[in-house]
Amino acid sequence: MDAEAGKLLGAGLAMGLGAIGPGVGLGILIGKALEAIARQPEVSGDVRTNMFIGIGVTEAVALYAFVVALILVFVA
Amino acid sequence: MKRGRLIVVLAAVLLGLVVLLFLPGGEREEFPVAEEFELHPLVEIPKIGPVDLSITKAVVYLWLTTAVIVVVALVIARSLKPRPGRFQQAVEGLYELARSGIVGSVMKSGADTWFPYIGAVFFFVLVSNLMGLLPLPLGEHYQFAYYTATANLNVTLTLALFTFGITHYAGIRANGAKYFANWAPPSAPPVLKQVIWGIHAVSEIFRLISLSVRLFANMLAGHAILGVFFAMVLIFQSYLAAVVLQGGSVLIYLFEIFVAVIQAFIFAILSAVYIGGAIDQEH
Repeated sequence: MDAEAGKLLGAGLAMGLGAIGPGVGLGILIGKALEAIARQPEVSGDVRTNMFIGIGVTEAVALYAFVVALILVFVA
Repeated sequence: MKRGRLIVVLAAVLLGLVVLLFLPGGEREEFPVAEEFELHPLVEIPKIGPVDLSITKAVVYLWLTTAVIVVVALVIARSLKPRPGRFQQAVEGLYELARSGIVGSVMKSGADTWFPYIGAVFFFVLVSNLMGLLPLPLGEHYQFAYYTATANLNVTLTLALFTFGITHYAGIRANGAKYFANWAPPSAPPVLKQVIWGIHAVSEIFRLISLSVRLFANMLAGHAILGVFFAMVLIFQSYLAAVVLQGGSVLIYLFEIFVAVIQAFIFAILSAVYIGGAIDQEH
């Protein structure tokens, strides 16, 4: 396997494997937030704000993988 | 009657797709997605030392963003009516979102002091993200190209550095010299306290990285996916694929509008959380 193939394979693996965790995390996060809103609709504003903060923090992990993939393809 | 017409339409669409499937594709032409994100100077300005001030498409997009915000703000401010029209209502709704939805809901004290910054960041990122969905004739040969200023790490890192600086400035202004001491809980035992302080210091740096990389990677990924859809049309060499992929790219485009708004919201709300956390430190 030459170096170029290794880079592309690594980039694909980095993105694919890196998306698993945040995907599961976002599912749990949004599911729980919806559960909370369904239980107590009167606090939906607060829950939604905090949900978005959580989404931002969680999805950053997937984006690190995306940046690593970009670096592997274009820089390394 | 109605059902019959539906069947006719469906049959026509299917027939069209089958015809498209067997039509030969066009000449192969490359669409290198990555080159869309390269910056070529449109107006070259000689370098001053290591500083390159050439005007690239990112700079033009930033200027246009600023111009749009300034013009909209001036027009709205000049023509405020007690009974708002549609345009005024939309802008007022966005202002209300920034004021009470973002700043009001996460900052306990200092909301009035720092609302101008967070509101400005929110509107700047929002308009910049949305501007990026408009293709402008700013390519290398002045062809239409799509680009977002926020899909450039320099822009987002600058914005994140502003938040970083203001966070610590606000923290020192509100808590004085105790601001840095408060990074670790005062009641913790001595050695543990230093470890916690070190972890907090590292997390401050990572906030800067995650804040900038989140916006950058989101906008870059969205535009790259649109580009990949266009490139796939050329790879598959078939009109059927072109129809399906163009339909798909419309859906991605709509999703990108959603992402543009959400990312502006997240950037602003995280800035507010960080600044608010520096002002009201946990003791």
